[in-house]
Amino acid sequence: MKQHEKGTGNGNASKPAKPSEAEKSTVIPQPEKSVQGSQESSGRRKTSKYFSKDKQNVKDEMEVEGFSAKRKAQRGGSGDLDSDVKPPPGKKVHKVEDDDDDEDFVTPSRRGSVDTARSKKLKSGVGKSVAQKLIDESDEDDAGKAKSNLKSAGRGRGGKSASATLTTTTDMDVDGSDEEDVDAEDAKSTKSGGRGRGGRGTPAGGRGRGGGGRGGFMNFGERKDPPHKGEKEVPEGASDCLAGLTFVISGTLDSLEREEAEDLIKRYGGRITGSVSKKTNYLLCDEDIGGRKSAKAKELGTKFLTEDGLFDMIRTSNKSKKSIQESKKPLDKVTPSPPKKSPHKPETKKQVATSVVAKGLPPVAALPKRKDQPTAQLGLPWTEKYRPKVPNDIVGNQSVVKQLHDWLSDWNKQFLNTGQKGKGKKQNDSGAKKALLLSGTPGIGKTTSAKLVSQMLGFNTIEVNASDSRGKADAKIEKGIGGSTSNSIKELVSNESLSLNMERSQHPKTVLIMDEVDGMSAGDRGGVADLIASIKISKIPIICICNDRYSQKLKSLVNYCLLLSFRKPTKQQIALEELAERVNGDMRMALNQLQYMSLSMSVIKFDDIKQRLQSSSKDEDISPFTAVDKLFNYNAGKLRMDERIDLSMSDPDLVPLIIQENYINYRPSSAAKDDNGMKRMSLLARAAESIGDGDIINVQIRRYRQWQLSQIGSLASSIVPAALLRGQRETLEQGERNFNRFGGWLGKNSTLGKNYRLLEDLHVHLLASGEFNLGRTTLRLDNLTLMLKQLTNPLRVLPKDEAVEKVVEFMDLYSISMEDFDTIVEISKFKGHPNPLDGIQPAVKAALTRAYNKGSSSRVIRTADLITLPGMKKAPKKRVAAMLEPITDPSPEENGEEFSVNEEENMSDTEDLEDSADAEKKLQTDLESLNSKGIRVEMDLKGSGSSSGKRAPSGRGRGSSQATDKKGGRGSGSASRKKK
Amino acid sequence: MLWVDKYRPKTLDKVLVHQDIAENLKKLVTEQDCPHLLFYGPSGSGKKTLIMAVLRQMFGASADKVKVENKNWKIDAGTRTIDVELTTLSSTHHVELNPSNAGFQDRYVVQEIIKEMAKNRPIDTKGKKGFKVLVLNEVDKLSREAQHSLRRTMEKYSASCRLILCCNSSSKVTEAVRSRCLNMRINAPTEEEIVKVLEFIGKKEGLQLPPEFASRIAQQSNRSLRRAILSFETCRVQQYPFTNNQAIPPMDWEEYVSEIASSILKEQSPKRLFEVRGKLYELLVNCIPPDIILKRLLYELLKKLDSELKHEISHWAAYYEHRLRLGQKAIFHLEAFVAKFMSIYKGFLIETFG
Repeated sequence: MKQHEKGTGNGNASKPAKPSEAEKSTVIPQPEKSVQGSQESSGRRKTSKYFSKDKQNVKDEMEVEGFSAKRKAQRGGSGDLDSDVKPPPGKKVHKVEDDDDDEDFVTPSRRGSVDTARSKKLKSGVGKSVAQKLIDESDEDDAGKAKSNLKSAGRGRGGKSASATLTTTTDMDVDGSDEEDVDAEDAKSTKSGGRGRGGRGTPAGGRGRGGGGRGGFMNFGERKDPPHKGEKEVPEGASDCLAGLTFVISGTLDSLEREEAEDLIKRYGGRITGSVSKKTNYLLCDEDIGGRKSAKAKELGTKFLTEDGLFDMIRTSNKSKKSIQESKKPLDKVTPSPPKKSPHKPETKKQVATSVVAKGLPPVAALPKRKDQPTAQLGLPWTEKYRPKVPNDIVGNQSVVKQLHDWLSDWNKQFLNTGQKGKGKKQNDSGAKKALLLSGTPGIGKTTSAKLVSQMLGFNTIEVNASDSRGKADAKIEKGIGGSTSNSIKELVSNESLSLNMERSQHPKTVLIMDEVDGMSAGDRGGVADLIASIKISKIPIICICNDRYSQKLKSLVNYCLLLSFRKPTKQQIALEELAERVNGDMRMALNQLQYMSLSMSVIKFDDIKQRLQSSSKDEDISPFTAVDKLFNYNAGKLRMDERIDLSMSDPDLVPLIIQENYINYRPSSAAKDDNGMKRMSLLARAAESIGDGDIINVQIRRYRQWQLSQIGSLASSIVPAALLRGQRETLEQGERNFNRFGGWLGKNSTLGKNYRLLEDLHVHLLASGEFNLGRTTLRLDNLTLMLKQLTNPLRVLPKDEAVEKVVEFMDLYSISMEDFDTIVEISKFKGHPNPLDGIQPAVKAALTRAYNKGSSSRVIRTADLITLPGMKKAPKKRVAAMLEPITDPSPEENGEEFSVNEEENMSDTEDLEDSADAEKKLQTDLESLNSKGIRVEMDLKGSGSSSGKRAPSGRGRGSSQATDKKGGRGSGSASRKKK
Repeated sequence: MLWVDKYRPKTLDKVLVHQDIAENLKKLVTEQDCPHLLFYGPSGSGKKTLIMAVLRQMFGASADKVKVENKNWKIDAGTRTIDVELTTLSSTHHVELNPSNAGFQDRYVVQEIIKEMAKNRPIDTKGKKGFKVLVLNEVDKLSREAQHSLRRTMEKYSASCRLILCCNSSSKVTEAVRSRCLNMRINAPTEEEIVKVLEFIGKKEGLQLPPEFASRIAQQSNRSLRRAILSFETCRVQQYPFTNNQAIPPMDWEEYVSEIASSILKEQSPKRLFEVRGKLYELLVNCIPPDIILKRLLYELLKKLDSELKHEISHWAAYYEHRLRLGQKAIFHLEAFVAKFMSIYKGFLIETFG
């Protein structure tokens, strides 16, 4: 904004070089300014004085208006000329960027700028010569100047905002902020410093602060960069120019993101609704007129508004609103800064209501409950202080409250009277329940309603806050149930009957409110049961309150209670829309927030709430997807670092994965004007590297337990990539939905793990065949291609039988099982490449399987089968049985000859038997007792532990049918070994 | 049986390449004082073959009688017990295993297996050797901790056990371990040697092998004998009467990597990066080690790259390979390399061609 550059220009120029100012003062019509300056400065000093000069002020403003018009014409650079130094040439770019900010405040900023510029001039240059008019004023200025620019500037600002208080809120804000800016730059004081000064107790100061907040928001505006066009200036307008209007947004807008448009409209007091209704004033849409909304709008005769139209509206509002603002001044003046703070608070709230809900309307008490608060209650938190006192005050859930009321009033008749008559009747009255269960989310007024209604009906409420005194309460209940009458609740319950009998008419009726019953049952299981028991015998109404009525704990209680559930108040009911959004429908939270805010500022505006609550918004469970969305959001830049860390820490494992999966899809708004995609590409490279960093850090964290790195880890893995690439998401594939995908790594990693396992199986089998002794990696990299060819090529080329024979032979040689065959095929598949099994007739494949299975009966034992594969630890019974079978085998020796080829495998199987003198004998003993065998094996293997035990049984092969051969093979193996 | 396995020399006398090394090894073994050995050299140069031959030389035929075993270790590591499972190949005289398969728990494996072997020294002292041999594969993939624990145990139990280490790159083996071993550098066989072996096999198989074809196979094998023999056999499977200009089918994954490389060179865009990620995943899922992918990818890229970029790209490839090792999720680093390449290459193209 102009202030900035002027400020900076000034700051650079004015301090070291007074001459420039002098120069200016010659150029500019002097007297007028001095008058104004003096006025203002007087205002600065004493606000009341300023009030009396209201007219003058108006005049000033008009004057300023004149200037501003001129300046408007010259906007773009030379706007400063008339009032100020020459435009610093280098600042032009900056100015353009700042334009929208500027526009936010057309009126005020212009005036403010002029004013401040002048006042400064006066202060510094003219001040000395002219300001004698008001001695104290000039004194102050001089003193300030003498001391340091900073001080005078700061003071000036504080005073200024005080004076500005008298105009309208926005004006004030802007003044404050503008001055602040100037001050900040001029005197090199920090903003916050300036603020602190301004906020020194007077409401005006507070307002100045508000302006500061708004200034902060302007920064956001500066940052946003709508990906489509984004070049349009967002106009500034009077704060309330859209008040009372309802908008519906349809389709994509020309330059604004939908969120931005919503923000804009809300900022100016408009309302946004989701669908078109009679109340809708405008349908905001740019291109695609069509679809349901516009059809409905046409039907209802709603006006269509383009984005430009909206901008125009806002822009024009400026001038027209000016008068209104001025006319409003008196209204605001009614509440000038009194010394005491307390009365100010309600006023604040009024302003909240007015400024946010109905900006521009005269301060009506939108939340009536607050109106008649005695100031004496200062110490209470607002939630207590402004707890509704009349049922009508209760916001929302009127029907429920009505029901509650009815129930409670009926209770008298139903139960008390029947109680008088006799207990038997109560049970008969099935329609009515003796107790009430109110349910609803926290903070929506359950307790308040219950209390209020009770009070209204003249009940004496006894509240048992279950979560506080649960143990006691429970114990009492139990005791009471247990027979003792010392329990206060029990006493109450039973006492009532006594009192009823004696002095029913006079006795104040009592109602028991059991708050937070769902919390109660957590400590003591009997709690709910006892409560139910109490309800049964109770002679007073009991109101139970819980948050989740579907809770398992309350299941039994539900049967005894009349159920009433509170709904969340809608936005309108809470009245502060944005606030409502943030607190997620929790009024208590809302009020707490308001109270907190009032400590630091007296005017709460849309943007303030938005800003503040974004940080302190209720801790809600945030899903990793939401977190990623937020991090990549176009305005994620205004999130603070701790917020970002919170987001990425919401799930420190998943968030980085989702970010890694999706970061390519984002079109970074920081590279919007990048025609060849170069910028984006390099951003992608940086992000990818940062993700890699995250991975490395993650290894350090997990493997070496360096948990102190977790923050930096989430910074590298989530925040940096998201910050680099945040912007609009786009799809890269046809038909892809434009939502963040779930991290693909997890799935791929598990497939990878599976494939490695399969490969390891294959590898082990190959190793076991004794023909292969290479590593797994080599197997995959070098041998697999050929193996696949050997396995599949014959099937394709040769006639069926021959092919099958050949392949089975090959498989047998390397002890490749059918599963391994599938593994080889599976691992060799590449997307976009022909499937290795293509061209093989299913019949041939089936024949192969058949042949292999057939062969397995005559197949010799494979050492491969001796290996316990992970996940196959227990030997199937079949195998154990197979082990025992060879006893019947008559001629192991012969078989041994036959299968001499497989000697090696057999050897390895019988390796452990080697020590024994006679293999045959060994075999016998072997067969005698499985257990002894197991032990022996273990001994032989010495220390290989349980695996050897496992190995032995599972080693006995595949099925009973092959047992004979197998055994034979083994026998031969040991025999031949012996020979050697 | 595959020719690679069929024609693998079983004894030191029969080796066709590295005959000098074989000679030395034989002398070393027969003199009965065998130090720890470290074999290193590129893959397909014959390290494993030599190791097996050495074992056979030491222990005779019984070294061939290996059994496969799934060993299970329960290691008490202070507060918890760690279960480690590994597949081992063992005979009465030696145990062979690949400790790097145990991930970063490899050091427990290394410690335990050596202690275990030291505990049960071979009983039959009538055999010549009073020690067992432990063959450790892929030592360069061992974690630093494992290598450190290795160097301690290597000395402590050297009386009862000898180590034969095998790896591709000795630079990834710590100095301490290297200095405790007799280092045997196994060079990749020259192309002539490869051709010689191929001819030998061709003769044995009774095949007509045109010399040009043989040399082409040797060329394409990248001086890996195994690769050469495998592709020789693949060609045999595909088409027998060899012709001189017969296509030598590349390894399936290499083909895929070169596709990736050309698609990267063709277009540098987020969309392409996304596609490449999918392809990289495909490779990873098919059990291709990420460092091999990266290496191959660089190789393919360099083939088509302008010379002024080659240095830079190689630098970045090395950079990302290092990070790959430090990290855990390979795809992140591969993708980062691709993104980096795209960004550099795109910048280069724009600069050159506008």
